[in-house]
Amino acid sequence: MAPRWKWKGAEAKALAEPISKSVSELQLSLAETESSGTLSSCNVLLAVEPEQAELLDRCCFGRLVLSAEKIKKWIQLSFEEAFFLHYNLKCIKISLQGRCLENEVDTWLYMKSKRPNFPMFFKAYSHLRSKNWVLRSGLQYGVDFVAYRHHPSLVHSEYSVLVQSGDSDRLRVWSDIHCAVRLSGSVAKTLLTLYVNGNFKGEDVNLLVCLENFTVEEQTISRWSPELSREDQSTNSKQHVPNVSNLNTL
Amino acid sequence: MAPRWKWKGAEAKALAEPVSKTVSELRSSLTQTEALGFLSSCNVLLSVESEEAELLDRCCFGRLVVGAEKDKRWIQLSFEEAFFLFYKLKCIKICLHGRSLENEVDLWRSMSSFKQDFAILYKAYSHLRSKNWIVRSGLQYGVDFVVYRHHPSLVHSEYAVLVQSIGGNDRLKVWSDIHCSVRLTGSVAKSLLVLYVNRKVNTEKMNLPLCLEDYTVEEQTIRRWSPELSREDETRT
Repeated sequence: MAPRWKWKGAEAKALAEPISKSVSELQLSLAETESSGTLSSCNVLLAVEPEQAELLDRCCFGRLVLSAEKIKKWIQLSFEEAFFLHYNLKCIKISLQGRCLENEVDTWLYMKSKRPNFPMFFKAYSHLRSKNWVLRSGLQYGVDFVAYRHHPSLVHSEYSVLVQSGDSDRLRVWSDIHCAVRLSGSVAKTLLTLYVNGNFKGEDVNLLVCLENFTVEEQTISRWSPELSREDQSTNSKQHVPNVSNLNTL
Repeated sequence: MAPRWKWKGAEAKALAEPVSKTVSELRSSLTQTEALGFLSSCNVLLSVESEEAELLDRCCFGRLVVGAEKDKRWIQLSFEEAFFLFYKLKCIKICLHGRSLENEVDLWRSMSSFKQDFAILYKAYSHLRSKNWIVRSGLQYGVDFVVYRHHPSLVHSEYAVLVQSIGGNDRLKVWSDIHCSVRLTGSVAKSLLVLYVNRKVNTEKMNLPLCLEDYTVEEQTIRRWSPELSREDETRT
C-alpha cells in the first residue's frame, strides 16, 4: 500500500525535512540543556523549553501537558519514548522521587517492574524508531503501535503493529487474525507483526545487553484476494492464506 | 442499538412471518420425507427437495450447493446446524460412510473428534437458535457467529458473537484484542456479545450430548463507554 499523504505538497515537505534530521536537532538541543524527566508509575514527565517542546512535537515524542506556566513546557512521555531518548539518543536524564538515576540499568529495572512486557515493547519500539518510523500508540485500533512514514500531520499511518513473543496472547486463533486484519484494512493500514525473539523470563532481562541479543522478525499479514492475485498479475501464485510476506520496505 | 431493517416494510413482513413458524413448517416437512445428511470432516451435506431447500433458506440453515440435478437440492450444513436439526428438532437423519448414525452419541463423538471445540460452539449456537435468533458464521468479522433478528434479507445482523469457555478461551485476554473487537463490531453497527459457556467437569457425561444440560450460558455485551453520551442528567432513567 502506498503512503497516503494528507495534502498536496505534504510529500515534498516530508522529503525536505527528514525525521532523522529533526531527531538530531532534538538530540543536540536536549543534551545541551541537560533535560531531566521525572519517572512515575506509568509515564515520564519531561520539563523543557518552548523550542524543545516544538522539536519534540516535530519528532513525535510524547504529548504536551496543558499548564499555565509560560517558560516551561511539560511533556508526557511513554516508557518506551523516555527510555529511547535516555538510552539510544542519550539526551535526557531520568529521575525518580527527586533522585537522578545515573545508571541506565536502574531505569530499565524500574520500568520493567512496573510493566513486565516493557523489554519486548521497547525492543520493538526502538527497532522501528531506529529506522526513522514515527510511532504512536495503537490503542484506538486494538494494536500496540501505529507507524507513520513521517509526521502524522503530513501522512496517514501505514502500519498497525502488533508486538509478539513466544507466549503472546494475540493472533492465536483464526477469529483474532480475521478481526485484526479486517480492522487494519478498514482503516487503510497493513497489519505488521513484530516477533521479538529472546529470553524474557531469564536473568538476562535485567541486563541491557540482552537488547542486543534480541532479534526482531517482521511480518505483514494481509487478506489473500483471488481476484487480485491472478496468475498473470503476480508470478508468485503460491502464496499462503493469509498472505504473509517479509517486509522489505522497512 | 435498534434493529436496522433493510427496507421499508421489512419489519412488518418479519412480524407477519415469525421465524419460529417457518422452523415448525420446516420440521414437519423434513420429518415427512426423512431427509438424509452425509457427514464429512467439516460439514454435512443434506439432500432435500426443492420446496424444502426453500424452507431451509427461509430459516437460514446451511447454504445451497450449486448442482445440475433438477429434482434434488444439496444443502451444505455446518456441524452446529446439522446437529441442531438432528438432535434438537429431530427432523433429519445423518449417515457416515454410508451407515446411518441412529444414535446421537455416535454423531456427537464424530463431530467432537473432527472439531475440538464443537461442544462449546454447539451449546452457544443452540442457545441462540432456541431463542429464535438466526445464527450465521461470523468469519468476516473475526467472531464466531453473527446473529439476526429475522432473515438476513430483511434485517442487518445485530450482534457479533464470541463464544468463550473456561480454560479454552483464546480471545479477549489482552486489552488490545478487546479494543480490536469492539472497534470492528462498532464500525459495522453491531454489538459485541460474549457468550461464556460454563461446563461442569463431569467425566461420565463429557462424551455425551447429555452434558449439554449441565452447561450454562452467560451473556455479556461489551461496548465503548463514551463520556459525552453518559452525562448524569441524560442517564437518570
